[in-house]
Amino acid sequence: MRPPAVLAAVPSLLSAVRPEARAEPDRRESAWIRDAQRGSTAALEHLFRSHWPRAYRTALLVVGDAGAAEDIAQESFLAAVRALDRFDRRRPFGPWLHRIVVNRGIDWARARALRRELGADDAPEPAAPEREPSAHGRALAAALAELGPEHRAVIVLRYLLDYTPGEIAELLELPRGTVNSRLRRGLDRLEAVLQDEGE
Amino acid sequence: MSERKVKRLLDTPPLDEEAEERVWETVRAAFAEREPLERPPQRFRLVLALSALAAAVAAAAFSPPGRAVVNAVRRTIGIEHAQPALFSLPAPGRLLVAGGSGAWVVAADGSKRRLGDYPQASWSPHGLYVVAAAPNELAAITPAGAVHWTLARPQIRFPRWGGTRSDTRIAYLTTSRLHVLAGDGTGDTDAGGLPAAARVAPAWQPTTADRHVLAYVTTRGRVIVVDTDRGSVRWISAGYAGAHALAWSHDGTQLALAAKTKVVLFDARTGRATTIRVEGVRALAFSTDGRLALLRHRVLLLRVGGRLLTLFAPPGAIAGLAWSPNGRWLLTELPAADEWVFLQTRGGHRILAVSHITAQFGAFPSLSGWAS
Repeated sequence: MRPPAVLAAVPSLLSAVRPEARAEPDRRESAWIRDAQRGSTAALEHLFRSHWPRAYRTALLVVGDAGAAEDIAQESFLAAVRALDRFDRRRPFGPWLHRIVVNRGIDWARARALRRELGADDAPEPAAPEREPSAHGRALAAALAELGPEHRAVIVLRYLLDYTPGEIAELLELPRGTVNSRLRRGLDRLEAVLQDEGE
Repeated sequence: MSERKVKRLLDTPPLDEEAEERVWETVRAAFAEREPLERPPQRFRLVLALSALAAAVAAAAFSPPGRAVVNAVRRTIGIEHAQPALFSLPAPGRLLVAGGSGAWVVAADGSKRRLGDYPQASWSPHGLYVVAAAPNELAAITPAGAVHWTLARPQIRFPRWGGTRSDTRIAYLTTSRLHVLAGDGTGDTDAGGLPAAARVAPAWQPTTADRHVLAYVTTRGRVIVVDTDRGSVRWISAGYAGAHALAWSHDGTQLALAAKTKVVLFDARTGRATTIRVEGVRALAFSTDGRLALLRHRVLLLRVGGRLLTLFAPPGAIAGLAWSPNGRWLLTELPAADEWVFLQTRGGHRILAVSHITAQFGAFPSLSGWAS
């Protein structure tokens, strides 16, 4: 399976998500985890920098809100730091982190659906102007917004992070059939919305 | 829809580099606060050791029966010069404190002078005077206790003095109104055209130029930086929830704001904000060499070159921050233990504790500044 273009442009990021690399962590990542467990901030930073892009992007695609995505990615890394001493270095770091990110993203999206949104007068102003999304980005956001968070999570795990349906089932503790049906339904829905948007 | 097209779409969202840096700061700070199972590097071990030592002393001091063993514990764990009273300050300068028993100036040799019934006070820019506030009076006093002038105003709080040696201004709040007057006590002006002020001490920008620039927080959590001579607003920030403390760097190029979930560093000229994700910072202060101390409920953090280090983490609540004028020592308070703690942050890592603060001042005071 060909990796997404952005991943191909950053070869160092690929090893943690390619299926063949997920069975075991690469040596460099194992060394970072070991050194971080011994207190090395530099090793922790390597680990953080290598996993940040997909952790943030995954959260953003699941929740559709940049501020919430930052919070979710941050909380996930903080959870990782808290559990670092107990982490088994023989296991890859990525799937463990992605499970946290996706589950927190789903929880956040469900909670938002339940509570009333603030009025414009109550909302704090951003500290800096937010970036205007491209037309492409708006179409994607609209398409993903049509899906439930559970469907978005499965789509993102499959097509951004390249997990197999079996691995997704394991990560989310779902039956494999449920993963497959969510993938199918998610793709169909995306197609319908994007066609309406003229994609 | 093809899988390839879905993949292409999912790669669309741009990465946010500023978010990455903000989160990294927070993750690094959390990492610094954790205690690793294996041996940490030498420098980090020293910081942890200092925190642990101080924590042990504070824990012992919290209970009256424990106080009897405090000195022995201090000797065992290495705190030097544990004092039953404030015999001297560990660095040159004079300390100003204020509270229920009034305002006091403490000299480097430990001698204390009470200035009067003023629960709030702060130094003039060069430590030549003190501006003190009682509920309905503002006063300028010399450190020797001579009152130069007084001004009757209702419900005064947060008096702050700024400016150069030749021309100074004083700002204070009455309820939510911001006032500015000249250092000689004349020309009191209500800044009526500006948004109402929150209960946050305003802060004068340190400067050598003949201008008077003040930062204050509005009731909507915005920071406003205003040139008080021209009456013009330089910039206004976004609103920040729970904004409650301001501090300028000594060179006047940076302004720090403590808000509920973050600390914001503003560029003084443009107002451009950089966020440090640290929750619950209640006080903050820059040293003369640019290090920023952040006080949370039970942790004292030090931001050095973009990194957050845990400097002190006792088991009880800490309050108050005052840098020594030479930037080597940081003073904080343990009210429940009735102690002050001097932390050496440069040229060594000593911790000096002083007990029986309430008995020495009549009430446990707040730190108002350490002037040269």
